Amino acid sequence: MPPSFVSINESCDEAGILGNLMNTKTVLVNETEDLPGDFAIWIFILAEMLVFGVMFIVYAFARSNQIEVFNESQLTLSRAMGTLNTIILITSSYFVVRAVFAIKSGNSRQSAHWLLGTIFLGGMFVAVKLWEFNEKFSAGITLETNDFYMFYLTLTFFHLMHVLMGMIILACIVYKLKNGDYSAEEHFGVETGASFWHMVDLLWIILFPLIYIIR
Amino acid sequence: MNKQLNRFATIIWLVLVILTIGTFLIGEEVTAGKSVMLSVLLISLIKGQLIANYFMGLRHVSWLWRGIILGYFVIVGGMIAIAYLN
Repeated sequence: MPPSFVSINESCDEAGILGNLMNTKTVLVNETEDLPGDFAIWIFILAEMLVFGVMFIVYAFARSNQIEVFNESQLTLSRAMGTLNTIILITSSYFVVRAVFAIKSGNSRQSAHWLLGTIFLGGMFVAVKLWEFNEKFSAGITLETNDFYMFYLTLTFFHLMHVLMGMIILACIVYKLKNGDYSAEEHFGVETGASFWHMVDLLWIILFPLIYIIR
Repeated sequence: MNKQLNRFATIIWLVLVILTIGTFLIGEEVTAGKSVMLSVLLISLIKGQLIANYFMGLRHVSWLWRGIILGYFVIVGGMIAIAYLN
């Protein structure tokens, strides 16, 4: 039970049962917070998740017609690199959480440092992905090699574009943090950017096992 | 208060990393099969819930938003499972 709930109820003891009930109701209503960041980003997040969700399902059903081709091609992917990229993204999401906590405490400098760390990890994700793409292209694999590689290259490239977009958004937030545009009271933009970055992570949470692990 | 939040986020991060390594080990060590596929999808659902509720901060907002994210993972994961079970 949050401390605020207990303290307000205790303070109401002298005001009688009615006052106590009224205050309890007020606190219960206030316990449901607004969505973090801009509402529009949440509509965008849902739209993006819907698009990716459809592509994941299409991949799964396309595979059921060519199981051997998909399984053999999937085994050529580096699961270690896929795992490394998953850990990189999860860690970057953790850095974003710390950035939000920092700005909520009024520490914009620390918040900017956590976000710079996130951008660095985003860069690492991009580097690993490009290494993977280069390895496949060097082996003569293209979009036309087979349906598995078509899905692998398309889905991971589409996701990569979102990572890059997230890095640009976070870089803009760092710039604004350095300018002192955000504070403990006003940090709407930081939460908006954070929500977008978490969405990128959330999508990879399904993409990684689907493309690299499940056979 | 902030220290507690930071520590809690660190624990969630650690759990996510452990689940990711678990997924990797399943992919490396275990022969492909239906139970493996279902286990990996279940791990993804758990990871998705941890990220949505604790990293995105949906734990404190209306149940509708938590329901949408949970529903997304259940529906997409369920459809993937159906396709693989066929």
